[in-house]
Amino acid sequence: MTKLFVQLGFEGFALGAFETVYMTILSTAAAYLIGLPLGIILCVTDRGGIKPCVPLNRVLSLIVNIFRSIPFIILMVALIPAARVIVGTSIGNAAMIFMLIVAAAPYVARMVESSVKEVDKGVIEAARSMGAGTFSIIWKVLLPEAKPSLIVGAVISTVTVLGYSAMAGTIAGGGLGSIAVTEARPSNAQDVIWLCVALIVIIVQVIQELGMFLAKQTDKRVRKNKKIKEVKEKVS
Amino acid sequence: MIELVHLDKIYPSREGDVHALEDISLTINDGAIYGVIGLSGAGKSTLVRCINLLERPTAGKVLLDGEDLTSASEKRLREVRRSIGMIFQSFNLLEQRSVEANVRFPLELIHAPKEEARERVKELLELVGLSEKAAMYPSQLSGGQKQRVAIARALATRPKYLLCDEATSALDPQTTQSILELLKSINKELGVTIVVITHEMKVVESICTDVAVLDKSRVAEEGKVADVFSFPKSEIAKQLVIPNLIRSLKAGTGKKIRLVFRGETSDTPVISGLALECGVAANILYADTKNIDGRTYGHMVITLEGGEAAEKAKRYLGRCNVLYREEEDDEVICSAGL
Repeated sequence: MTKLFVQLGFEGFALGAFETVYMTILSTAAAYLIGLPLGIILCVTDRGGIKPCVPLNRVLSLIVNIFRSIPFIILMVALIPAARVIVGTSIGNAAMIFMLIVAAAPYVARMVESSVKEVDKGVIEAARSMGAGTFSIIWKVLLPEAKPSLIVGAVISTVTVLGYSAMAGTIAGGGLGSIAVTEARPSNAQDVIWLCVALIVIIVQVIQELGMFLAKQTDKRVRKNKKIKEVKEKVS
Repeated sequence: MIELVHLDKIYPSREGDVHALEDISLTINDGAIYGVIGLSGAGKSTLVRCINLLERPTAGKVLLDGEDLTSASEKRLREVRRSIGMIFQSFNLLEQRSVEANVRFPLELIHAPKEEARERVKELLELVGLSEKAAMYPSQLSGGQKQRVAIARALATRPKYLLCDEATSALDPQTTQSILELLKSINKELGVTIVVITHEMKVVESICTDVAVLDKSRVAEEGKVADVFSFPKSEIAKQLVIPNLIRSLKAGTGKKIRLVFRGETSDTPVISGLALECGVAANILYADTKNIDGRTYGHMVITLEGGEAAEKAKRYLGRCNVLYREEEDDEVICSAGL
């Protein structure tokens, strides 16, 4: 057991894990505030969407693509001045959350867009035939029908942000990433590094399982059928 | 009344424009069950979507009770659509909503009071016979049940018109029949005017009062179902109505006579009459008749030997009030009325 391991102790690791989880969830949630509407607009304004507006779609799509194509580690460095202006600091958790949001929002937007695009065109047409307007279709058809897929997307986004948060730990905030990279690596504390890895794996697993369970629970397409079958089997 | 006036629909594409509808003019009277039949690609689906302007016609007018919908505002169109229900081949139910919530959907759109909506949903589910499935989800239902839910949903806002786009094409024959019965009773009891798009002759036969035959984006023929069925004039209508008849006319020798049954002659045993009263042996080449409500509809092709026998037979048929035509070959068949 290395000196650093002992020094950190249970509290040190627990704090790191907590910081990772809280930054990840906070940043992902904030990224959805931007990414969800953006994703919907991308889908709705596309050619063949329910309210096509190709110029707007092109511009938004281009912005999203630009942000999506910059590797996070570079984007982070590039965002240091912006963080200083907007959140008043370029280090610490606040700066890190800002960077995570900027990186995650376009990612989330694409996730949302692809989920919403999966909604059956026929169902949208049916809603239109009943006199539904654009807003009603988004609110009452697209989002509810895409819900299970949106939840799966949220799980994937959260895990991605968690990965980013570990990277962000190297220059700004705290969390397990910061412990492993900035504290353990210089002193080559292998045990600390591996415990960080293990903790991150566990956190990802929990998010994944929880999210998938939730997605399955909300999906009305097959679940009930299975349940009925199970009950029938039990009865017979 | 729905009037389509010189409707054109062109889909521009890189390989050249696609003319989906060409100069379509139709009048659909209130109370009718109006069939639009044609092979796939004839433009049927585009046509029905032009009625509620899900597709905007390139030229021409759509008049709904005299109001030109092509010049109506987006807001007015949404209002109008509430008086035109629509059902689809693939049902298009909201998969994440229960049966009940699906039927409630159009009522939510018009912000109907909750209590009122609940009552209406109950009423509608009763009408389509699915009251006990209210809490289920579409994925738990069979195709026929899904279409019943779709019908209940389409009727929620008490529309005057109901558009059916290949509504029974994904269903087995038995289920098709039960859905058609339901549509018929909706027409009769609620007075809803129904437009039925289909490629199946059977559907038109069993419920429609009027029919338009669509071919290559144009109306090939239009009229009362009984007339179009007895004496189809256009090539496409002949193909759809009596596909085997044409083949049968090429077979056999002797004079061929086509008898047309239009529901008036069910009681008279015509063929045995020919044998017994005129001593003429008729050889049946083709027969496709069906009994609807105790009346016979359909066609029969017989050959008669010898000139004199044929004359006798014709006189007999005339006395019996049977419609018939002497057919030379498939070129002249049905080319004129009687």
